[in-house]
Amino acid sequence: MLRDITIGQYYPADSIIHRLDPRVKLFFVFIYVLSLFMFGNLVSYCLATILLVVAIYYAKIPVKFLIRGFKPIFVLLIFTTFMKLFITDGTVWFKLWKFTITKEGVIDVIHILVRILYLIIASSLLTYTTTPTRLTDALEQVFKPLNKLKVPVHELTMMMSIALRFIPILVEETDKIMKAQSSRCMNFSSGNILKRIKNLVPILIPLFVAALRRADDLALAMESRCYQGGEGRTKMRILKYKRQDFFVYILLAIYFVFSLIIHLLL
Amino acid sequence: MIKAENIVYEYIRRDEEGNVEGIDRVLDGISLDVQTGEFIAVIGHNGSGKSTFARNLNRLLTPTEGSLWIDGLNSDDMENTWKIRQSTGMVFQNPDNQIISSVVEEDVGFGPENMGVPTDDIWKRVEDALNAVDMIKYRSYSPNKLSGGQKQRVAIAGVLAMHPKCIILDEATAMLDPQGRLETLQTVKALNKMEKITIILITQDMEEVIYADKVFVMDHGKITMSGTPREIFTNEEALKECQLDLPQALKLANELRKEGIDITEGLLTAEELVDAICQLY
Ligand SMILES: Nc1ncnc2c1ncn2[C@@H]1O[C@H](COP(=O)(O)OP(=O)(O)OP(=O)(O)O)[C@@H](O)[C@H]1O
Ligand SMILES: [Mg+2]
Repeated sequence: MLRDITIGQYYPADSIIHRLDPRVKLFFVFIYVLSLFMFGNLVSYCLATILLVVAIYYAKIPVKFLIRGFKPIFVLLIFTTFMKLFITDGTVWFKLWKFTITKEGVIDVIHILVRILYLIIASSLLTYTTTPTRLTDALEQVFKPLNKLKVPVHELTMMMSIALRFIPILVEETDKIMKAQSSRCMNFSSGNILKRIKNLVPILIPLFVAALRRADDLALAMESRCYQGGEGRTKMRILKYKRQDFFVYILLAIYFVFSLIIHLLL
Repeated sequence: MIKAENIVYEYIRRDEEGNVEGIDRVLDGISLDVQTGEFIAVIGHNGSGKSTFARNLNRLLTPTEGSLWIDGLNSDDMENTWKIRQSTGMVFQNPDNQIISSVVEEDVGFGPENMGVPTDDIWKRVEDALNAVDMIKYRSYSPNKLSGGQKQRVAIAGVLAMHPKCIILDEATAMLDPQGRLETLQTVKALNKMEKITIILITQDMEEVIYADKVFVMDHGKITMSGTPREIFTNEEALKECQLDLPQALKLANELRKEGIDITEGLLTAEELVDAICQLY
């Protein structure tokens, strides 16, 4: 279950998409998702689909890999689909025993499915093709102006990159603790919900203690390596736009304007 | 390089309201002198104050009393903090808890980034440091995919990239398997020989002490013995008092001698022992 979470995972490959400036990809996903939710018509969905297929093709990511990201939300998706399908009122298309399926219901479901699926695919494409460090670098650059409003941008992105570094370690540690508790006859997969939740306590407490100890060690290690916050710090990688980055920006602008015009016309 | 005069360090225990509950004198009048380029080992049983001493050397802590100079800088002076931390690098025990970045080369660059080194220079430092610990092949790896010994070498590279004069290893080999220990120790020895970096190796493993130029034995916050490894290990009684053991080869030699086999005194390494035994027959 824990291993199915693909958010923040990187898929190493050498592709055009991998080499794009992380800021471009960040903006792209943002505008793309925005457009999905702003314009809900057939033409704009078609455009969005084309864009996504092209991106997947050039990113050289196996489709199998992309689909894996749905696993954790699969049940939720099915559930909402059925709820929407049978509950929405409107012109009745056909009747199935006690349930009625309406035209509005079907349309709503299509909207929801397209939006959620495309949202997930687009954002996992972003993390698959961008290393966590490049992504946090991009975030730090993009949000730098907020520094003036006293938002601790550097600290927040540092937190994010440390979190990304320690997720696999903590996942492994959870696994170890679970095994250790299982060997003491602890059972995690039976009993009612209340009992199962109670059974989590002997996992969570050692995990928390271990995480706090790690945090303490890490803070010391960072201090001993002269870490003193964002001020006066230089960067190993400086983000610089290249030709293809501008090309993608232009593509994005064309897509957005075109969708907007169609949306206004329809 | 390092000059300590009677340094004292006290941890102050407080209760919930912040009132002083008690004072633990963890370092109790330590004086020592370390020359540039020396390989120093510090040994002592658990809780004898080794880590506390190491943290004082890096100005993660400052002595409560006494005076401490590191590379000519007075550790009493707040302004010297960053210079001291740059000139004495620390490698800690747990390899996982000191690597900050998800990519090896970026972790090595973390120190120079903090020091404000220009970008091109950082890359050069990172390459040199990774070459020095023989980890350049793994530059774009995730630390999670490395062995314990490799992670410690990355940590050493991270310190090296800051161009330190002295590296302090606080039980850096304690969590490693024999292979990892060997790798780490060899790396440290090579740095000491080639780059003339002062090494302060804090350890519980007597086998590692053999290679040091000078050994300090700590007990209850005091330095109870100091000298070359040979000098230290001939005084078995005093070591026992500090709850410390002898290296394997030396122990074996002593046992053999007790059995009436005539083996020369003062040998330390396994090789020396083998030679001595071979000469007998
Ligand atoms: N943050 C702290 N607050 C209070 N007391 C502490 C703190 N850190 C360490 N001590 C105490 O200081 C003493 C010396 O600790 P230190 O970690 O320096 O020993 P050590 O020789 O490194 O031991 P080890 O071999 O276990 O690493 C111990 O008795 C310990 O309980
Ligand atoms: Mg210690």
